[in-house]
Amino acid sequence: MTEKRQILVGEGLFTWPSDKPKLIATHCKSCGDYFFPKSFTCHNPKCKEKQVEEVTLSQRGKLWSYSVLYYPPPPPFVPRDPFEPIPIAEVEIPEGLKIIGMMEGIKPKDIKIGMTLELTVGTLYTDKNGNDVIGWKFTPVKA
Amino acid sequence: MTRVAIIGVGLHPWGKFPEKPWTQIMVDTAREALADAGVEWTDIQTLIAGSQIWGGRKGTYAGNYFAEVMGETGIPIINVNNACATAGAVMRVAYMTIASGVADLVMAAGVDKSPKGFFPSLPVYHQEPMPSVDTLRWNIGLPNPVFWALECRRRMELYGVTDADLAKTKVVMSKHGVLNPKARYRKIFTEEEVLNSAMVADPLRLYEICATSDGAGAVVLCNLQKAKKYTTKPIIVAASSVASGVYGDPTARIPSLGINPKPGVPIISESYVAAKAAYDQAGIGPEDIDFVELPDNSAWHPLQYLETMGFCKEGESHLLFRKEETLIGGKLPVCPSGGFSSFGEATMAQGFVQVYEIVKQLREEAGARQVKGAKVGIAEVYGAAANNSALILKK
Ligand SMILES: [Zn+2]
Repeated sequence: MTEKRQILVGEGLFTWPSDKPKLIATHCKSCGDYFFPKSFTCHNPKCKEKQVEEVTLSQRGKLWSYSVLYYPPPPPFVPRDPFEPIPIAEVEIPEGLKIIGMMEGIKPKDIKIGMTLELTVGTLYTDKNGNDVIGWKFTPVKA
Repeated sequence: MTRVAIIGVGLHPWGKFPEKPWTQIMVDTAREALADAGVEWTDIQTLIAGSQIWGGRKGTYAGNYFAEVMGETGIPIINVNNACATAGAVMRVAYMTIASGVADLVMAAGVDKSPKGFFPSLPVYHQEPMPSVDTLRWNIGLPNPVFWALECRRRMELYGVTDADLAKTKVVMSKHGVLNPKARYRKIFTEEEVLNSAMVADPLRLYEICATSDGAGAVVLCNLQKAKKYTTKPIIVAASSVASGVYGDPTARIPSLGINPKPGVPIISESYVAAKAAYDQAGIGPEDIDFVELPDNSAWHPLQYLETMGFCKEGESHLLFRKEETLIGGKLPVCPSGGFSSFGEATMAQGFVQVYEIVKQLREEAGARQVKGAKVGIAEVYGAAANNSALILKK
């Protein structure tokens, strides 16, 4: 039996492996803006110095908006069989960014705009070669 | 600057045509536009054409392969790609070619065949250290309607827009589309039917997201001074604008994973900027517009665009639909063509549905869809990666 491999959904997106994984972003020390995914420069057209550094982002934020996918996304994504609806979150974090990602650990009917969510890293899906694709997700923080 | 008129339009019926080569779809449409204008292909001095997303290498240089079968005449051909806003960008380049005095007779054209279902990811052949946001969002499982759904859900939360309001946008489009012989879907949908259709990307249902189609459009543009030679009804291009996104745009645009919103920057800033630029260029405002063609890719879009284009205050657009003001015969008919909801997206070509409709309306040739007394119409079309263009036509 071959062992299931873990594949990152992309390089340089989050600290991994880690007990408390965080998203990796670019912070501009000159104008204060943040960029995710990270970038080699500041994107602010009015910023002249563009002194950037790599940082990690806050793990908690508030749900700005959401959707639930009731149709399986096309390849390369591989939906579960049988398909289960996939909640998608847009989360506002203290740095001012809004991050989009899959939501887990919540039923669609329980999703509320404004609720606090926390970043996790785990399996998004199993790809066509049987490998686990690892990416960021959001889970509700229990009050 | 030389003033510019439209003297001929052609529009292929929208649908699925697996047996018909796209070059033939384009040729039929171009011939319709040439006949409508009363000019010969050999009179055309420049061709501006949409460059396809789904057509491989041949589709990338669609204008050249179209001219090859049309009969090569050595004219300048420029292939333009601004995502689903391509037709608007094609119109802008065609307009500028005449406005600058470089040419008197120009054809703007676009044809596309769409893949089935959700638009899929495309392969990338470059070597890159990190995947792009567009590659990533497909890997993560985020097809286009998710981004519209995020904006739509937020709007519902903020302004009390209901599921019934969303359904109503489809009902209105279908009442217009049923009257359009070029439309693919010619059936009136009831609110109940829309609400009973399958949920796709909550809160957007199947009938609230436009399908993907094959289609084509062609427009013959002419120096206004010389247009009288060909037609008694030249339609004047009062404005043709293209705009891109503004830094700090709060929209969950296609594609995005991390959004950096800044105070004062409007949602879909590229569309806001394009509309404003068009009004400035035409020297008129939204109050002077008789009807609007907007990109109704989903039920969220008409609600957002009526505000972005200045027809009502933020958060009030659904009230225009509730009051039935958006129907033909209402205060501001929205998409008398039937919109993309009745046609389906055909990325490079869809903006030509709008151009064709405005020209037909202003010539009073729109038959059962005629907006009575229409003198000025505006179209706006939008595409991924913050592409937008606006067009104002008048009698
Ligand atoms: Zn900066």
